[in-house]
Amino acid sequence: MRKFLIVLQYELKEYVRNRSFVIITLLLALVGGLVLFAPRVIDMSGFLGRSSWQEEDTAAVEEGEEGMMLLYDSEGLIDREMLKRVFPNITWIEADSTDAIKDKINREEAQAGFHVISYTEFEYYVFNSSLYSDESAYFEAVLSASMRQAYFEANNLNGDELEALFDTPITVNEQILGKDSTDNYWYSYVLVIVVFMLIVFYGQMIAVSVTNEKSNRAIEILVTTTTPNSLLFGKVIAGAVAGLCQVGVVLGAVLISYQINRELWGGMLDMLLNIPSDVLITFALFGIGGYLFYAFLYGAMGALVSKTEDISKSSSGLMIMIMVVYFITLMQLGNVDGVAMKVLSFLPISSYSAMFVRIAMGTVAMWEIMVSFVILVASIFAAGFMGARIYRMGTLRYGNPIRLTTALKELRKSK
Amino acid sequence: MKLEVKNLRKSFAGTEVLHGVSFEVETGKALGLLGRNGAGKTTTMRILMEVFRADSGEITLDGKVFKPAHEKIGYLPEERGLYPKRTVIDQMVYLAKLRGFSTLHAKNNAKKWLKRLEVEEYETRKLETLSKGNQQKIQLAATLVCDPDMIILDEPFSGLDPVNSQILKDVVTELIDAHKLVVFSSHQMSYVEQFCDSIAIIDKGEVVLQGDLREIKKEYGQNRWILSAENYTLQDLSDKLVQSGKYPVRVDGRTKDYLTLKIEEAVTKNELLARLIHSDIHIEQFGTYEPSLNDIFVEKVGDEA
Repeated sequence: MRKFLIVLQYELKEYVRNRSFVIITLLLALVGGLVLFAPRVIDMSGFLGRSSWQEEDTAAVEEGEEGMMLLYDSEGLIDREMLKRVFPNITWIEADSTDAIKDKINREEAQAGFHVISYTEFEYYVFNSSLYSDESAYFEAVLSASMRQAYFEANNLNGDELEALFDTPITVNEQILGKDSTDNYWYSYVLVIVVFMLIVFYGQMIAVSVTNEKSNRAIEILVTTTTPNSLLFGKVIAGAVAGLCQVGVVLGAVLISYQINRELWGGMLDMLLNIPSDVLITFALFGIGGYLFYAFLYGAMGALVSKTEDISKSSSGLMIMIMVVYFITLMQLGNVDGVAMKVLSFLPISSYSAMFVRIAMGTVAMWEIMVSFVILVASIFAAGFMGARIYRMGTLRYGNPIRLTTALKELRKSK
Repeated sequence: MKLEVKNLRKSFAGTEVLHGVSFEVETGKALGLLGRNGAGKTTTMRILMEVFRADSGEITLDGKVFKPAHEKIGYLPEERGLYPKRTVIDQMVYLAKLRGFSTLHAKNNAKKWLKRLEVEEYETRKLETLSKGNQQKIQLAATLVCDPDMIILDEPFSGLDPVNSQILKDVVTELIDAHKLVVFSSHQMSYVEQFCDSIAIIDKGEVVLQGDLREIKKEYGQNRWILSAENYTLQDLSDKLVQSGKYPVRVDGRTKDYLTLKIEEAVTKNELLARLIHSDIHIEQFGTYEPSLNDIFVEKVGDEA
């Protein structure tokens, strides 16, 4: 234990003394913090004025885009006045055939065209369909309203009264007894990405630090001075602590700055930055656990090679595994109580994100959390001891990278 | 303290590279492990330090199983290596602390050894900024920083200029005088000869000669004499001795200064001398042959070191 602490202290000191590491940490924290103080010094009302997506949509309709659209409505079914109100900046040109519509659109003289076949059917013509275009939806609404209007008139009904009846606002008081997935979605999403980045970026850094000991030939002195367990655990945990400190300082600066300026931001970033403490605790336990698990595996991958440029080769399998877990978790965010997430939440390779997301957004029993965490902790130690054995076995084996399968076979033989 | 290595065997990829290496060394003495490149010296030292495990054999210290982790050992590996981007003092203190020293004790000892090896001005410099020779001295200081009882040095003179070699020789002599147990390997026979009490010559994974150096020299010089003449070249003198048939000797070897002769039948030094005096040979040098370690090594291993 004493030797482990000496290695840990020595390695941590190197991170603290590394100027670029310290400067990057402070710079990121400063930039992150300053951005959130921006509303105090810059007029951001234009940016912050939007309070919801609904308002933004309405504004888009009201302002609309200027341009020309074609209408082929031989029976005069659609209400032209209503059409002008809904598309205020559009000039409507009457067309006499669908060919005329196609011709003008192909020549880019009009941005879109509509052929009204009946009250319940129309054709929409456009040159390139945009992902965010809502012209067709608004046109459909106008046609539907025109149909209702025609019905009211034909049956001598009071249209305004009936429309008001249909549109009576209903007050909904939602009482969520479990978890609000909508609220938790965004910070769960962000935190899954944060752990992913932590693992990939700092894992690589840890592997480099292990390989360096082989490339600078210090390894023979070290393995004859202390145990491989002290060396690998000290080195990996120092890298992990340094990484967490860096992320902690940056996240801390961002969260504190946001809390100070929250009112000025109008709570706009709550979905990302106002993370509840229980979610943060879960993230700390499972996120850090997963990070440590992968950090040891990266340390072992570093021990398989003797040149830092070979690390990407030895750790490619690990990288693929991390990416697969990352994508499956993100894809399953809408179905956190599904079978896939339940299985992933117990595997040490994925519980760091799957169990964390299940706790934040789904329904999970306490025993499940406990079992998953025990499996994760046991796996961290197993990865650490296996990494240390690979590290020891890789001593003095310079030259070509050792395959993981070869290393595991040799470890089995040497038992 | 007595270290005994008994019958070490080691194979790599199915090829046996050590075929039963044995030797012993005691406190206050130095053992020189000699051998050509690839003979098995470094493998033997790595087995001693448990970098590798022997396939069979035994290493004991005072009769008990030797555990390097439980002893205060200074090990200088053949593959030199420390942290190039870290300062000299930091890594020396780190290694001393790993060997059980407190921070203060480690720092004081590091300074002491840096001073003794005349590199104290580089204390706060990064290792990579030093010359190869100075890096070598720092490496030696790091080996000795824990005040070891046992010192294992693999090719310690490699890469050192004559001045630094002299400093190292002095340090090793001091360690022997301080009753440390020293094992080291070298190609440079003159250094081994100067401070090794005993040697073990390893050839192709086997110890072909071992024991007390003085005894070995005495044994190798027994019944051997040296001879040179003022009026004959060494070649002519050799031909004369062989062709005349009057002298009961065989020409055993030749240096640039004299021939070495081995007695073929029972004859005393005086009898041989009398025969030479009564011949036409004008004796320049005649005496008992004292072999150098190099001569012994060449004879045993069959090639120049």
